[in-house]
Amino acid sequence: MTKTRDGEKRREQKFTNRPATKIWCETPAADNPYIAEKVHCHGYNLMELMQKRSFPEVLFLLFKGELPSADQVQLLEQLMIALLNPGPRHPATRAAMNTGIGKSDYNHILPVALSILGGEHLGSGAIERCVRFFNKTHNSAIDSLIEEQIKSAERPAQGDWHPLPGFGSYFGGIDLMTTQIATQLATLPGAGKALKFGVTLAEQLRPYNLGWLTTGVAAAVFADFKFQPKHSAGIFQLLCAPGLLAHGMEMLNKPITAMPFQNDEDYIIED
Amino acid sequence: MKTNPPVDTSFWDRNRGTIRSRKGGWKIGEAVYCHGYNMLEEFIGHKSYFQVLILNATGRLVERRIADWFEAIFISMSWPDPRIWCNQIGALGGTMRTSIVAATTAGLLAADSRNYAQRTLAGGCQFISSALNAIKTGLSAEEFVLQQTAKTGISPNFMGYSRPVAKGDERVPAMERVSKDLKFPEGEHLTLAYEIEKVLLQRYDEAMNLTGYASAFLCDQGFTGEEICRIGTIIVNSGVTACYTDTIERPAGAFLPMRCEDIDYQGPPPRAVPDRR
Repeated sequence: MTKTRDGEKRREQKFTNRPATKIWCETPAADNPYIAEKVHCHGYNLMELMQKRSFPEVLFLLFKGELPSADQVQLLEQLMIALLNPGPRHPATRAAMNTGIGKSDYNHILPVALSILGGEHLGSGAIERCVRFFNKTHNSAIDSLIEEQIKSAERPAQGDWHPLPGFGSYFGGIDLMTTQIATQLATLPGAGKALKFGVTLAEQLRPYNLGWLTTGVAAAVFADFKFQPKHSAGIFQLLCAPGLLAHGMEMLNKPITAMPFQNDEDYIIED
Repeated sequence: MKTNPPVDTSFWDRNRGTIRSRKGGWKIGEAVYCHGYNMLEEFIGHKSYFQVLILNATGRLVERRIADWFEAIFISMSWPDPRIWCNQIGALGGTMRTSIVAATTAGLLAADSRNYAQRTLAGGCQFISSALNAIKTGLSAEEFVLQQTAKTGISPNFMGYSRPVAKGDERVPAMERVSKDLKFPEGEHLTLAYEIEKVLLQRYDEAMNLTGYASAFLCDQGFTGEEICRIGTIIVNSGVTACYTDTIERPAGAFLPMRCEDIDYQGPPPRAVPDRR
């Protein structure tokens, strides 16, 4: 007999009543189970962390479950400063500035900018792939990588070219600031294999007018920290957030004329 | 520091300070153009919102009944139940006194998902298109299902068939009625979708879900998965907003409050913070 559709039935799936976490433990007050009287992060008392550790150390703990070594925290802290502000020309920052100048609810500046930063072009959307690239290739021969991915590939006729995750052209050339940042980070005692591999790779990409991208530097450090590739995308957003917010807030009290609104002759409707 | 080899920046220079659009724009004092149409004269009062939405997403001005069909699928894919993941975000926004735009937008972001909402329609299109290609090589629907099952070694998990939480999907007959009322004939993708459903019902007691029906229907109408994703960007909008309005009309913090014990802590036991070495 042919079976036919019958109506909807709830499946026998068991959903948990208590979400699980290894990160955060809240101990309830004796007289109110909704109020925590003690909080632990991966086993460490929050009050003690506040007294004894820096923000970058606790940030590392939050994602890794263990406190970083002195070398690791130095590297993370310098990366945090390097990524602090993508700068006022970056599309995500400009989204923040448009939010500010448009007199939007200022609470939206950061979510708006971070949404745009989620893109794959110089944004957190590229980070997972970059971290995986470093995890996979940091022991690879650079010559063969260049042979396979650069020499035999076709450069696009227009725009930038990112032939390797985290590496490519930036407005047609090499991103000098990012190169300097990577070089400085690579001299630190906490620098790992991925970052050092990246520095060598970038040097060999120079004749092709290709080099480090910001996403590459961040991903190399994240790979050396053994951060999960998917977690790394969000951490990149977090580290870029201060500058996005600052530029958006800077526009809040300015008139709409403080941002460009193209003249009609500069707005071309194409067929 | 070494300088870069010389580069040609003319591509960026041409776009610097200039916007080029293939979609339209506002010619101040003249008209607002939308894909070559005069929006105020040709659209307002003449075309439906969904016709314009589809035009902006695909570049094609579709006939009214297609737009009406999309309106129906938007209704089908969003309803006010805050147990649904994106809707719960709306409800949490309401209980936290977030703005309605932030809460609804957050719900829309959540629905940018592999598991539900518009991206599953794209996945459904990909599935039924590849299935049709396989069938055209001479396979029957049953042989196709068995071949796919053999690849994974488990019961099939085809996009557009079966569904989380519930078995069966009452939205399918509702949309079948809409298609019939709008006088859409059954195309080759949908015919195959039904054939696959027959096999799955017989062998695994799993039916086609709304995604399967809608994807096959839309493939028959010539839409691509990418186009459907673009059209469906805000497909869960109304349900999220409804869940927000429910909780904002109740006391703040009243939506699903949690005691400390309602979280199952599985991390390390308390330990002393070591001194820095």
